[in-house]
Amino acid sequence: MGDLVDSMLDLMRRLPPTHVEENVASLVAMCPDYADDLLGSVDQPLKVLTDRATGKEYLACDYNRDGDSYRSPWSNEYDPPLEDGTVPSPKLRKLEITANEAFDTYREMYYEGGVSSVFLWDLDDGGFAGVVLLKKTLTPQSPGEPSGSWDSIHVFEAAERGRQAHYKLTSTIMLQMVDRSASTRGSKEESALGKGGRLVSEKAEADNAKRDGEVTLSGSMTRQGEQDFPLQDQASHITNTGKMIEEMEIKMRNLLQEVYFGKTRDVVFDLRSLDDLEKARRQRELQKELVGFIKR
Amino acid sequence: MDPAERIEAASKFLLQSPPGEINDVLNDVRNIISDDDSLQAGVLPALREYNTTQFTTAEVPGHQHQSIVSEAARVESSGDGEGEDEAASQDRYWDPRSRTSFRFDHLSLESSEPEPIEPDSESEPFRVALETASLQYLQAHYHDGVTSVFPVAGSSTRFIIQIVANKYNPTNFWSGRWRSEYTLDLAAQTLTGKILLSVHYYEQGNVQLSTTHAVSLALPPAIAVSGGAGAAAKALALVEAEESRYQAGLADAYAEMGEKTFKGLRRALPMTRSKLDWDRVLGYKLGQELTNSKGVFGQPA
Repeated sequence: MGDLVDSMLDLMRRLPPTHVEENVASLVAMCPDYADDLLGSVDQPLKVLTDRATGKEYLACDYNRDGDSYRSPWSNEYDPPLEDGTVPSPKLRKLEITANEAFDTYREMYYEGGVSSVFLWDLDDGGFAGVVLLKKTLTPQSPGEPSGSWDSIHVFEAAERGRQAHYKLTSTIMLQMVDRSASTRGSKEESALGKGGRLVSEKAEADNAKRDGEVTLSGSMTRQGEQDFPLQDQASHITNTGKMIEEMEIKMRNLLQEVYFGKTRDVVFDLRSLDDLEKARRQRELQKELVGFIKR
Repeated sequence: MDPAERIEAASKFLLQSPPGEINDVLNDVRNIISDDDSLQAGVLPALREYNTTQFTTAEVPGHQHQSIVSEAARVESSGDGEGEDEAASQDRYWDPRSRTSFRFDHLSLESSEPEPIEPDSESEPFRVALETASLQYLQAHYHDGVTSVFPVAGSSTRFIIQIVANKYNPTNFWSGRWRSEYTLDLAAQTLTGKILLSVHYYEQGNVQLSTTHAVSLALPPAIAVSGGAGAAAKALALVEAEESRYQAGLADAYAEMGEKTFKGLRRALPMTRSKLDWDRVLGYKLGQELTNSKGVFGQPA
């Protein structure tokens, strides 16, 4: 019943992104038969795990999961260990090692911190597919500072066509930011004014006032792309997907900026106006009257 | 999961509905549960909770304005109704502005069975003054808002002012809701309140703004029941100042998140101000791996 999965996905597009993990868990418990469909289609925040063999951090998602274990891109080992966990063919594993190195450099250049992981798998038609994961978390140094997290999930498919390769890319970025200063911001400015001698009564009021609150901007956006690139050798796959993912992240970062800081803010100011609408209305009436007066 | 647990999970989904999307969420949940009979009865408490906490607006039968359906608007049942009437008597709300009570259907969002209701004569004059001031404030700052002012039952010095503004734009994939509520306590000389904002943007994604703001402040002595219209206007001036201050603070928070948090998570371009040279990235890494006979992977590539 594909209908049911559609309903579950529609639901996940509406419910708060901050609760995606609990809500997916609920849906899986409600419809266990569709767990795989759901887990394969809904992106969840990436988990950071530590490779026991190398001590390096890596990212866990549905693509490097086998049962309850996750494969590390650094040691190729599953944690908890699996006897017969799925691993890429030796040829593809070689490419995976190089890809992890390359995207680690990419991560350092753009994220200046965080964790990255690349996982590749063989496809039945002879091609291969992969996922490039990037995650960065900002933890506030003091309670007043904003915090945030960025999770990138780039899933691609590569098909070789002679000296060319065709790539299909689906990119999802999950972005969350929390600010705890919005509620008290205004009052700080006010008491600063009060110290200057003005607005003494308001200063007294500000001293008596208690304010507290939180602003959360969270969500995810998904975009797709397809592109052909020349193929010299196996390593070309890394430069090709690298360029494609870099372009996509630049494009999506602009889009996120527009939606998070532009669109949602516009809706707030559409609900309530800072300026007095009644005054503006009266001014317009007055203007109309004046125009009529001049015309006469 | 047993049927009761499934209804409980469905109820939790409904309570998380973004502004204006409760019917979409309900449709999804219907499909997932696929048992309309148990669903309809089972999720009624969740729908009631959603509507009253989200300040759902109702057409007042026989009048040209809307009023807010909330816990403060609930009409206490007189207690003579028994059994089957219990749910119905629970769902009577009143609009103080038109002195009308009505039955509200939490599923269809329709109001019916209007009845005249007599307000408490002691608190009514000041409540009316607050309502007039609140309607004026609404005109000045909200494009599309509804306000209701309720007396607190059993008190002639406490009032609840509620404001809600909704904008639904499904064709452009966004919706938003502003809710605020203030309790004016003239005996304790305090104004306590909260502002709650939710915005949903869902074109090829799911982005939500969710804010909370709680405030509590002392009233200037001029605001008293005896002060009449002047005192009511002053109380709403406090609300106006608080909401404008908060909105300005929110604008600053937006700027700060855009400047600091967003840039701190991912740069627009690397420090070098140019995109990566992928051939060099690869050459450099491969070269490094060849010189290190033992890389992090244990074996040279």
